[in-house]
Amino acid sequence: MKFNKRLLVVWLILASLTLAYLWIDHSANGSLRSSAIVTSSVIVIALIKVRIIFREFMEVRQAPVLLCRLTDAWVVLIAVALLGSYFIGTAIR
Amino acid sequence: MTTNLAEPNKRARFVPGQPDMWVFVLFETLVFAAYFSFYLFYRARSPELFLHSQAQLDLRIGVFNTLILLLSSWSVARCVQSSRVGAYRAAMRDVFITAAFAAVFLFFKVFEWVRLVRTGNGLDSSEFFSYYFFLTGIHFIHLLIGFIVLGVIVYQLRSPARRSQQLVETCATYWHTVDFLWVLIFAMLYVVR
Repeated sequence: MKFNKRLLVVWLILASLTLAYLWIDHSANGSLRSSAIVTSSVIVIALIKVRIIFREFMEVRQAPVLLCRLTDAWVVLIAVALLGSYFIGTAIR
Repeated sequence: MTTNLAEPNKRARFVPGQPDMWVFVLFETLVFAAYFSFYLFYRARSPELFLHSQAQLDLRIGVFNTLILLLSSWSVARCVQSSRVGAYRAAMRDVFITAAFAAVFLFFKVFEWVRLVRTGNGLDSSEFFSYYFFLTGIHFIHLLIGFIVLGVIVYQLRSPARRSQQLVETCATYWHTVDFLWVLIFAMLYVVR
């Protein structure tokens, strides 16, 4: 079977986003301090990765529109739940 | 001769695998999202405690394991595509590659657990480690089930009479779910501040 370059590119993007965490951690390094900016970017990057896995590896890209919309809605829902919980927790500390 | 099989991208839109598996995937994702929400809420309320415990984790192991699971997802995606065009030998090879990556992941997970427990960080040593062991433990169980799922693909592909593309896709969908749940767990436990 012909080698699928698209899947390779997808993996490379996912790997780069994973390695970006090393950079983020390095930037915030040493400081044992909470950071809303770091937390928000980490959550957003993770959800971008999840969406890429949905669309490319799980072939949602080629699925009926309903499944595309549903998985996108889930990504947004998780983003709202996670960021919401973090910021509410911060606010009522 | 050009057939639809040879050009999977051009065929009509289809649900990958059985719709029931997608219901499970979406439900499971919601359950994990609830765990993460509790974790982030309590973490945000007492950040110092969580940060202090989190500093015991080695981010490099987390990154390495994430890359390994992403590789396993890539290979199971290749398996689905190979089996779709009838390249069953290649599909079978990809399943074994997937299982090998999963075994590497499990090895490093256990290695990390042992290292943490030896340095005195158990399930009840802090709130952070309760979440850490709970989330990684539940994910570990999902991965073990994943081995059975990969076994189902091998069983399907082995005999021409049993080959069902839909079942192969269903199993692959489960595997990718184990992968993206780890992507989220990794972000929550290792990198969030």
